[in-house]
Amino acid sequence: MSCTVDNSIFEKLHKNESWLYTNVSALSTITFQDNEDAHAEFVELYDISKNSPFVVFVNGIFQENASRLSGSITINTGSGEVAKRSDSQIPRGACDGVHITGTQQKTIHVLQIVAGEAPVACYGSVFIHANEGESISVAETNVGIGNCDHLLMPCTEVIAEKNSSVTIVRAIRGSKKAYHLSSLHVEQHESSKVQTHTLTLAGKRTRNEVYAYLDGKDCESNFDGMYMLGQDQLVDNHLRVEHNMPGGNSREFYKGILDKNAKSVFTGRIYVKEDAQQTDAKQTNQNILLTDDAEAFARPQLEIYADDVACTHGATTGEIDDEAMLYLQTRGIPADAAKTLLIYAFLNESLDELTDDEFRSNLVEELLSNLPGGEFIRELYL
Amino acid sequence: MTTPLLEIKNLHASVEDTEILKGLNLTVLPGEVHSIMGPNGSGKSTLSSVIAGHEAYEVTEGSILFNGIDLLELEADQRACAGVFLAFQYPIEIPGVSTKFFLKAAVNAIRKYRGQDELDAMDFLDLVEEKAKSVNLNTDLLDRNVNQGFSGGEKKRAEIFQMAMLNPMLGILDETDSGLDIDALKIVAEGVNKLRSPERGFVVITHYQRLLDYIVPDYVHVLMDGKIVKSGDKSLALVLEEKGYAAFEPSGCSCGC
Repeated sequence: MSCTVDNSIFEKLHKNESWLYTNVSALSTITFQDNEDAHAEFVELYDISKNSPFVVFVNGIFQENASRLSGSITINTGSGEVAKRSDSQIPRGACDGVHITGTQQKTIHVLQIVAGEAPVACYGSVFIHANEGESISVAETNVGIGNCDHLLMPCTEVIAEKNSSVTIVRAIRGSKKAYHLSSLHVEQHESSKVQTHTLTLAGKRTRNEVYAYLDGKDCESNFDGMYMLGQDQLVDNHLRVEHNMPGGNSREFYKGILDKNAKSVFTGRIYVKEDAQQTDAKQTNQNILLTDDAEAFARPQLEIYADDVACTHGATTGEIDDEAMLYLQTRGIPADAAKTLLIYAFLNESLDELTDDEFRSNLVEELLSNLPGGEFIRELYL
Repeated sequence: MTTPLLEIKNLHASVEDTEILKGLNLTVLPGEVHSIMGPNGSGKSTLSSVIAGHEAYEVTEGSILFNGIDLLELEADQRACAGVFLAFQYPIEIPGVSTKFFLKAAVNAIRKYRGQDELDAMDFLDLVEEKAKSVNLNTDLLDRNVNQGFSGGEKKRAEIFQMAMLNPMLGILDETDSGLDIDALKIVAEGVNKLRSPERGFVVITHYQRLLDYIVPDYVHVLMDGKIVKSGDKSLALVLEEKGYAAFEPSGCSCGC
């Protein structure tokens, strides 16, 4: 089944403080159509790791033929009501979804594509439940295809039980015209580890929400993000990390490059409850603006009710470092190439942490094809 | 007559409208090692930045010829390709790319400029192996991000290693000895001494005489307030060590020089 969306909600969303910089009112005037085509040709393009489990949804519909399921991956058809705890205003509705549990040897790749000649809107749902001591790694790829104003609203929910470990990479790729409004909801229990990477390489308006609830003692959480955007693109990374129990260690680290008139918004609220003593929380947002028209809005926010905590935040927005440029040039590298190399280095620092090699090198390829002078970097691989 | 490797005449340079170099002259012939010593603020680092092509420094008067070509006409990267190498006092850290990756870009940019074929991965790695040995540098370090997490000694050794990789005609060492203990200093000096040749020249900028025990210069110049006030052989460094820079203050000099 495809999805129906009541798009009137988008008209006034930006009147709300938490959507201040992200106007998606255009969505309220678009007539979305159903599209049940399997679009196998696009699926093939994003089948990155052929030996790994692969779960495919096209326009919100599960694609059995294109997918490769393994033991503890199950598909829910038409339900997918998840994540009631957050105050996300991204609409939810019935859709196909995937449920993942049990320790997995390999990264599970989940592909959500939205495609068609006319605008399509759909939800997506990924539910990850790591039981005590289990370890799960998921790589999500969310793709808009073509020049339509498609709308994808994927929602991922994670429950990490005691001593479990969950890694999620989410990459937004494909069309620079599509809207991506995504949410990620994380519930952590004692001594669990959750690591997420949200990578925005495409989309016209992208909102990536992360809501994390550290409900057990000694949780470890890394919420990282990277983006590279150009003409008429915006990304809004919106996080709320709640430390509800003692000894939690969380990090938010988002960085990106903005070219032309691209915009980024970062809101990184960290909430520390009275009981959550010995919390160690950091939030960082780094932007490099390549033009005078690019804009970055960083809103690091701390809300702390405990008295024995270490919480830091930092935001930097600037141009490419002159001293680093000089250093490269004094090694014979021409200015253009030096600039490309420094942009690549800045973004690659984030990609370096991805553990799935195939997924990482595929993303690096996309990055290089978007980067002016990227060919020069490709030649340097040893 | 031999063409000087470096010929600086009446060099005046300013940063943000403050004049730092006030008529500096220096000639380096192939094979020579010149040391420039001076107190803080005398213009030592400005000199190295100007030679390397730092855009923040404006040359208001004078000339710099390198092998007879006008260096001031060239961009920083062209100067490097022509054969000038600056070892930084504070090497820049570049998270996100490994030293090998970065150096492959540098080596091939320079080879391209000089009309040589670019090195393939195998030849490049062989060269890395060979040059790393010459400065006693663990090649594992070169898989790490450029200068990131390097100790002070590792950073300076990495600079000398880069110099060996890029094979310049003129090496400028900007306070390469700062922050090094005696063992690290010896290793760095040994690396530099291996690169000495009848064709190659060095300008060694330093605050202390100590480095010159290991890299023995042909000439020592004292830089004060943007000018060279005294030149001599290596024994001048010992005089400096003993008497301090104050003895060379133009105002404090009573001998009429």
